Amino acid sequence: MKWLLALCLAAACGAASAATAIIHAHAFTMAGAGEVQDATVIIDDGRVVSVTAHGPAPAGARVIDAGGRVVTPGLISAATQLGLAEVSLAADTDDRAVSSGPLGAAFDVDYAFNANSVLLPVARADGLTRALIYPGMGAGPFSGQAAMIRLIPPGGTVERSRAAEFAVTGQAIASKVGGSRAAAWGLIRNALGEARRLGEGKLDPRARLNSLPDLEALQPVIAGTIPLVIQADRASDLRQAIDLARDEKVRVVILGGAEAWSLATELAAAKIPVILDPQADMPQTYDQIGARYDNAALLAKAGVPIAFQVSGNGVYLSYNVGEAIRWGAGMAVANGLPYQEALAAITSAPAAIFGFPTGAGTLAPGADADVVIWDGDPLEPASAPTAVFVGGEPAPLITRQTLLRDRYAPRR
Amino acid sequence: MPRARRLGRPALLAAMAALVAGPALAAAANGRVAPYLADLFPSTYTPPAAPETLIVHAIVLDGAGHRLDDGQVLMGSGKIIAIGHDLKAPGARLIDARGRWVTPGIIDIHSHDGTYHLPQTAIDAEASDVAELSDPNTAGVWIESGIDAEDLAFAHALASGVTTLQVLPGSTPVFGGRTVVLHPVPALTVQAMKMPGAPQGEKMACGENPKTYDVEKGRGPTSAAGEVTFIRDAFAKARTYKAKWDRYLAGETADAPEDDPRLDTLAAMLEGKIAAHIHCYRASEMAIWLDLARDIGFRIAAFHHAVEGYKIAPLLVSRGVCAVVWSDWWGFKVEAVDGIRENAAFIDAAGGCVMMHSDGPFLGQWLNVEAGKAAAAGRRAGLALPPEHVIAWLTSNPAKAMGLADRIGALAPGLDADLVVWSGDPFSVYTHADLVFIDGAVRFDRSQPPPAPDFQLGRAPTP
Repeated sequence: MKWLLALCLAAACGAASAATAIIHAHAFTMAGAGEVQDATVIIDDGRVVSVTAHGPAPAGARVIDAGGRVVTPGLISAATQLGLAEVSLAADTDDRAVSSGPLGAAFDVDYAFNANSVLLPVARADGLTRALIYPGMGAGPFSGQAAMIRLIPPGGTVERSRAAEFAVTGQAIASKVGGSRAAAWGLIRNALGEARRLGEGKLDPRARLNSLPDLEALQPVIAGTIPLVIQADRASDLRQAIDLARDEKVRVVILGGAEAWSLATELAAAKIPVILDPQADMPQTYDQIGARYDNAALLAKAGVPIAFQVSGNGVYLSYNVGEAIRWGAGMAVANGLPYQEALAAITSAPAAIFGFPTGAGTLAPGADADVVIWDGDPLEPASAPTAVFVGGEPAPLITRQTLLRDRYAPRR
Repeated sequence: MPRARRLGRPALLAAMAALVAGPALAAAANGRVAPYLADLFPSTYTPPAAPETLIVHAIVLDGAGHRLDDGQVLMGSGKIIAIGHDLKAPGARLIDARGRWVTPGIIDIHSHDGTYHLPQTAIDAEASDVAELSDPNTAGVWIESGIDAEDLAFAHALASGVTTLQVLPGSTPVFGGRTVVLHPVPALTVQAMKMPGAPQGEKMACGENPKTYDVEKGRGPTSAAGEVTFIRDAFAKARTYKAKWDRYLAGETADAPEDDPRLDTLAAMLEGKIAAHIHCYRASEMAIWLDLARDIGFRIAAFHHAVEGYKIAPLLVSRGVCAVVWSDWWGFKVEAVDGIRENAAFIDAAGGCVMMHSDGPFLGQWLNVEAGKAAAAGRRAGLALPPEHVIAWLTSNPAKAMGLADRIGALAPGLDADLVVWSGDPFSVYTHADLVFIDGAVRFDRSQPPPAPDFQLGRAPTP
């Protein structure tokens, strides 16, 4: 839309087609321009045009004075269950997972996404503009397929379905696969083998364990076009995941990774990203004996790509996602992770891991203009956005919670 | 641990009653003692000797609403001696807290540490120690009798600035059992963690948890209204039981009634010695239970979780009942769908006694950040909520709800010297507890991390 910008510079634009200029911003672009003080962020036609220090606002642009406040890209959660459960403990409102039935790898959360979920505006009002929504643990090692969502008002929309395949290993799945975690790895390897033979036209239909829909769902994993996200915490399972990536030539991403720090060098060499919970400093299970606060710092130092998920006893997997991942990022900083790497773990890094649209999670020129102005340090969970732009348009920060707040606010 | 001398039953009860209840509850004139007032597991907690200590150049939040910049705190013999400026304490150990903050120790009024064992295993899935589930009325349970003193969570709580915590039974039964107040200090026995003389509470639960569990088990109340009737029935029996004991204690009858642990607890509630801590989410249910307690004659210390507390804040205030809340948990169950982040702030604004809680070992490490989040939401809604006020949500308010305001929760002369030296703003995500004092003794020092707990010995890899 450069011509439009040029036109606007030449003559005042009408409000409908005006560019937006956020001036006096303390911008974290998460791109080439890095951190820019007193930045002018120019947005036009739904995209970021530029972020420059002391830059002029285009004539006719809608000007927003950030007053020195922090401006970041919209946040991205690498693994959430937004829009899949409304009241997670009321089973009839919960579509996160299948615990029985024929679908494994083919289970697809896209079909369950509820764009009218009241959880979505809450997440957006906390700065979240994109997320990967993933299936919960299923009846076997494969949970199913995840989807990318974008929190376009009023709720959100699926941007790309079947964006990743999820699997669970370790103690969590052992009882579902006969009693041993070894069985989960055997089943995963077998399924990938069957999927490969199916793709090559060599699968003996009488000698397969997996259904055709499940094997078809694994084709993009085999082809390397989507990652296989493996939930694993114990070092032994992380080693299995590294071996699997090598043997099967699939793109593996680790979810959890409580003991990943102890294999940081190996994970870095295998180019396996880790989505971890910076709040997980105690062993919730025997798989997490080595859990520690500086997991993120140690992994990043070794060169492992990291992104964050904050579970909060499971509550934050769906509720308050935008706030929770900032809290986790802040805790990672408090325990040794450089600030911009923590911010990247909830913006540009998950976008890169999962192949969100070019520029997602950054303020690079041409990126979708998902932009947040903060009332404080975004990595303090007590901070909140003063404005959230999605596709260059300011999103209302009204949620069901703010409506309740306004109804019951004490009279002053 | 010194072995207890073997005592005959009356003498033993007399000794225990004195320990738990203090001089006001001495045995009846004839030497008889009510079993419902006995302390079965007396505290052996003793703070280590500590030198007189003067903290200087700190930003002090005293827990009672005051802030002192470049302030000083003097403690000795386990107590706060003074706070102020230009305190004189020759010979005292000096701690320079320039750039750092000092607050009373955090009190976590709702913890399951020691019963929610870390790491969780299949054993916990089969038979959790968080709650006794054999009956919807397990009022006779003393949760302290099932606590693992070596649970990993205690050390994490201490390292996060928690100096006192109340462990409650879980919220599955209507009557869950008696609570216990502990200091999260390294110990091999619960008795060695138990705060001497701290009142017990009784955990009760309203709403979804008890009714759905009892539907599943085919016994007990299966509806919100049924829970209320169940409680009335239980206290009707307890009233008769207590009357029998009181007649015996007064010497009107010769033979002691049969002792019943469940009825003991309810009798102690009717006696006013044990207050209820009630898991409850919804405004309408809290309002019913307030009337229920008034009708029956037991005291409610606090509603816990209370996600709709903000809707009935003036009612809570008028009944003198505190609210124990999260900063932002909501939505995960039907009775929690109306949770808002201003809950704490709005209850506070009505003049209520509000506080944060953990309910789990992880959140128990970040209660300071929880309060910071809840206060920030309140400020965005237009309330003032300066740090010197908000700190009460972690200190003096829980002390009040636990009946301990005369001992802990504030930095005031004569109170226990439980305090934290924070590396910075205590409500910031970046801040660490540098030093944690309990009864005037340093129990955690971030510069000298404690030895690994027994569980971790020989297990955890190192980088």
